[in-house]
Amino acid sequence: MQTRSRQQWTDRAIIAIMAVLGVFMLLPFMWLFSMSFRPVADAYKMPPSFLPPTFDLTNYRAVLASEIPFLQIYWNSIQIAVLVTVGQLITCTLAAFAFARLEFPGRDSLFFIMLVGLMFPAQVTIIPIYLGYAEAGLLNRPIGLALMYLTSSFGVFLVRQFMRSQPKALEEAALMDGAGYFKIFFRISLPQLRPALSALGIITFTQTWNYYFQARVLLEPQESMTLPVAMDMLRGFMGQGNLSMVMAAMSMAVLPVILIFLLAQKLVIEGVTMSGIKN
Amino acid sequence: MTAIAANRRSELKRAQARAGYLFILPSFALYLTFVLAPVIVTFLLAFTYYDAIDGASFVGLDNFKRFFTDGRSLEIFWNTLRFAFFAVTFNVGVGLALALALNRAMPAFLLYFFRLAFFLPVIIAAAFVSIVWGYFYGDDLGIINYYLIRLGITPVRWLTSSSTAMMSIIIMDVWKNTGFFMIIFIAALQGVPKTIMDAAIMDGASYWRRFSRIILPWISPVIFFNIVYASIGAMQVYESIVILTSGGPGDSTRSMSIYIVEEAFGSFEIGYAASVSVILTVVILILTSLQLIASRRWVSY
Repeated sequence: MQTRSRQQWTDRAIIAIMAVLGVFMLLPFMWLFSMSFRPVADAYKMPPSFLPPTFDLTNYRAVLASEIPFLQIYWNSIQIAVLVTVGQLITCTLAAFAFARLEFPGRDSLFFIMLVGLMFPAQVTIIPIYLGYAEAGLLNRPIGLALMYLTSSFGVFLVRQFMRSQPKALEEAALMDGAGYFKIFFRISLPQLRPALSALGIITFTQTWNYYFQARVLLEPQESMTLPVAMDMLRGFMGQGNLSMVMAAMSMAVLPVILIFLLAQKLVIEGVTMSGIKN
Repeated sequence: MTAIAANRRSELKRAQARAGYLFILPSFALYLTFVLAPVIVTFLLAFTYYDAIDGASFVGLDNFKRFFTDGRSLEIFWNTLRFAFFAVTFNVGVGLALALALNRAMPAFLLYFFRLAFFLPVIIAAAFVSIVWGYFYGDDLGIINYYLIRLGITPVRWLTSSSTAMMSIIIMDVWKNTGFFMIIFIAALQGVPKTIMDAAIMDGASYWRRFSRIILPWISPVIFFNIVYASIGAMQVYESIVILTSGGPGDSTRSMSIYIVEEAFGSFEIGYAASVSVILTVVILILTSLQLIASRRWVSY
């Protein structure tokens, strides 16, 4: 009895300590949102705010009205993230269906060749892609960044694994009835894949939204930048006095990912950890 | 009769094969174009001197020799390894400590809060949070120094001194990434059989004893997986350093990824940059194969 109540007290104490730590983990985000509402004149006044002093949107309006094409940059990010997400959902499910359900010569070696791609970092592909894009006129065009991520070995792998865990009796029955492969894929396989596809979609969207290395190399002029690279540029461009404006821009830049996380926390965590345990 | 059946079967087989190739075509063609071919080209470029006008000329191992004999590139290689070592140790260590602390019964709203607090940094772009941390780490206008002074502690030159800059980057990296490892560890801890733990508690085994004799052996494959996974990510470190210090002061925080971009697209030393990325890739391939071997052992557990 005694030890049980002591155990309860240690549990409570540890959870209390963790709660304090949790608040500390969130401080950078609280600061970033709060500062975005501070009047520009007070931007550097100490102490800093960790809760918004007002909800005045002046800084947000100033970002949109500045000479930096912020809306264009935002649009580039949305365009690339949506294209890549939709593209991967299509190409990865199609390939996964073939690898999981169809039989054809060389299937397993082709799948293995695709899996090898998981091991290569972006650093080892970027130089030839840059040179190729320069030739093809794709440099400094947002579509170029989207194009190189329209499929992913990880996506194919994830969907294939999921599909293999599903019963294939329905598909076989449909085949017996003489249905074509595309019909089977669309009518029977695709509806079963919803959980895997929403996880893949969410990871792909946030990952693409966050790309920096590739975007910095391939998209140089302001009008073609994506948000992560643009924020870095903005920091220098807006200069020392405009911390509040930089943070207003930043708040807008992180908003989609934070919203996704708040609304679909479990799905995001599942998706991201799955992308970790890919091998 | 049987001849017709056999004929029909082989026709079906051919139709299935045709469908199979058609289904993988978009994905495979994109993969060849944007992954496999560029990797092969990079490996070839690594053995050449590349000139925009004259093209590539074969120079054997010269680029690799240059990397391994040049003081500057060795310092950068060393920086990357040093960063990876500390970032991995603390990311995995802190992640495990957090998981042990959080692996207990609690109300749902607290669980949501903890997941939010520790996982939000994981999914926000390193580029964004590095800018925020840049302001936290400022010398005179920095937020951390403001509170240090208020507490009567000497302020720290977080990013502007070559002896502390790397440490500051590692601290931010742990803040950003440790939640990922925490989540993986929590999943692993929940797999520790309750009956064994209860029996140990009944026998009066101390917490430390339960940890070292039951928990640690049980999750050891996951620890190994996390270490390898963290190392692969840490070796590629790029934007947090670019934004916080641009590799400085001097070269004290420059990483291989930064060096590759600078050499390739700043100095147009394409062949040399390719050889640096080949070296980076080989290190990562070694780490990945370690992971493959480990996960095989993990499955048989």
